[in-house]
Amino acid sequence: MGQSNPIGSNTVLIVEPEALVRFDMIAFFEEREWRVYEAEDADQAMDILDQRKDIRVVLIDAMASGRMDGLKLAHYVRERFPPTLLFVVSGNAPIPQDALPQKATFLPKPFDLHRVMRQIEQSPVTP
Amino acid sequence: MIRSQPVSFFDRIVAWSLHLQLPIVVRYLLAAITILAVGWGRILFVPDTLPWLLFIPATIAIALVAGKGPGIFAAFLSAATGIASLGTIEHPTWVPRQQWVAASLFLIVMLGIVMLSAELRESLRRARRLNEELVESERQAVERQAFLSGVLASSTDCIKVLDLDGKLTFMSEGGQHVMEISDFNEVVGCPWPDFWQDAGNAEAKAAIEAARRGEARSFIGKADTYLGTPKWWHVAVSPIAGLDGRPNRILSVSRDITNLRASEEERDRFVRLAENSTDFIGMARTNGSVFYVNDAARRLVGLEDADITQLTIADFFPPDRIETVMREVLPAVDRDGHWAGELDFQHFRTGELIPVLYSVFPVTDAMGTLIGYGTVTRDFRERRHAEDDMRLMNGELAHRLKNVLAVVQSISQQTLRTAPDMASASHDLGARLVALGAATDVLTGTSWRSADLCEVATRALAPHGAIGERILLDGPRVNLKAEVTVAFALALHELATNAAKYGALSNDSGTVTFGWDIAGKGADATLSICWQEQGGPLVSPPQRKGFGSTLIERSLKSYFRGRAATHYKPEGLSFELEARLSDAATTGE
Repeated sequence: MGQSNPIGSNTVLIVEPEALVRFDMIAFFEEREWRVYEAEDADQAMDILDQRKDIRVVLIDAMASGRMDGLKLAHYVRERFPPTLLFVVSGNAPIPQDALPQKATFLPKPFDLHRVMRQIEQSPVTP
Repeated sequence: MIRSQPVSFFDRIVAWSLHLQLPIVVRYLLAAITILAVGWGRILFVPDTLPWLLFIPATIAIALVAGKGPGIFAAFLSAATGIASLGTIEHPTWVPRQQWVAASLFLIVMLGIVMLSAELRESLRRARRLNEELVESERQAVERQAFLSGVLASSTDCIKVLDLDGKLTFMSEGGQHVMEISDFNEVVGCPWPDFWQDAGNAEAKAAIEAARRGEARSFIGKADTYLGTPKWWHVAVSPIAGLDGRPNRILSVSRDITNLRASEEERDRFVRLAENSTDFIGMARTNGSVFYVNDAARRLVGLEDADITQLTIADFFPPDRIETVMREVLPAVDRDGHWAGELDFQHFRTGELIPVLYSVFPVTDAMGTLIGYGTVTRDFRERRHAEDDMRLMNGELAHRLKNVLAVVQSISQQTLRTAPDMASASHDLGARLVALGAATDVLTGTSWRSADLCEVATRALAPHGAIGERILLDGPRVNLKAEVTVAFALALHELATNAAKYGALSNDSGTVTFGWDIAGKGADATLSICWQEQGGPLVSPPQRKGFGSTLIERSLKSYFRGRAATHYKPEGLSFELEARLSDAATTGE
């Protein structure tokens, strides 16, 4: 239950079950010299989160499966790692704001990674 | 018929005197005048030797005409007048002794004759009265008979009298008319049950049997008239008691109920319309108490054998809908004459909500007065399910569309990112989207449930070389999961593209064998896929793996959760993939 180590690093965790989509997101961040962790489901994501305390941005597809679905994983991330910049992606109907964790951004699929990057750049790096 | 009048003169005189009915004083006065006149006549015209002769017919006549009293009076007065006219004052006893004797004898004889005559008059009078009574009763009998035959003739019922064997002996005129019989003699003596068809025949025989035992019966049956017009009849059969009190004849009264029957049948049809309808049909009084529901209604809400008389309209709805029905629906029916909309009924036993299209309208009596509400309500469960399915499908479709768009976006981005120039980017992207489209086509054919591996391979590879000549496909039937199909098709497309650029499909003779197989059974079954190129130029491993190679290995590993490997053997490139069958394919068809 350790407080996450805040994060000046450009580290992103991408939780996306659709590999064809995931590869593009990985390539996008890697092009910008980010360290990218990828997970197909919530289980892999939680393993990574437990090991890596320096993750600044988490992008979660709400449809991700595992011990919890993508939305629950987002809440888990918000509780365990409060400073994380959180993006929740879904190809289904928009998730209402009150169902999302605090300060999480909902992105309907397909979404523009450039805009995500702009939002990340505008967010203050919390010490 | 009137009796003949009395004809003899004597009869007529007596009849005349009886008819005259003179007061008693007048009769005595007339008797006295007559006798005194006869006495006077005797003095003037008859010798004393026959003093009584004229008095005899006069007294008899008086007795006959005026009765016993005046007759006796006349007899005494005759005797007295005779004595008076014969005697003289000089004679010590007025008349000689012989005359007194004669006068006494005369008186006795005359009294006898008077009694006899008076009796004769009395008997004549009684005979006349009897005759009059007879005439009167006969007149009454004639009147009654005329009345009865009038009644019989004017009755439209067919009134028949049968003998104990059931043979026709009489039929009323009205009956002959409705039975279309012009001459009763044609049917007299016919066995009456023979007129009846089908069940009516047995009923008629049973009714006659019962009448013979002294019991009355009635039944409804079908019989043709004498001219063959089919009619329905209500028949009452009852015994006619003889003098001994036992049935000696049988009365049968048949009423033509064809029209009534027709209207009953019409009503029956409407009842059956409601009864046989598969829609919920029900009626309730204005106070809401239910008085009719059809079988479909009972089945729908689980009231199969229940008593519905205690139910009200509200009982059919879940508690949270009762308000709507009472506040909106029924007032709308009163106001607009109709209400229809979707509501839920509640199953009486299970409590399950039953979506229905509830349609309510007023029910009026023949005078147009509102007596309650009627409903024809349709079971909307199927429809509601279909709508739910449709909504689900629509959502699912939107979801898939967005996913496909995300995949397209991703492939476009990566194609652009890795392409050496715009022209090749455009070419590669176009080809990849075509492969994507082909895979989507196969999936759409199965409503996105699964895709036949062979068909996906054929569609993805056909643009690159003739299937069966340059590209050989071989493997058992496998239905790929929808999730893996797009990536699989894209990977095959990339393999074929590479083969066309650098491998077996780059010359005129090389071939590709694409095979797949299933090993093991049940949960342990594995799917192995092998892409083997032969006959192409010598192969050397690439300096740098492009996006195509990434797509092939990484994505297939991810989607199939299996092992994938590419071997750059000099004689030809090969690619192998091994995965658990349950991760790659749907089980069953």
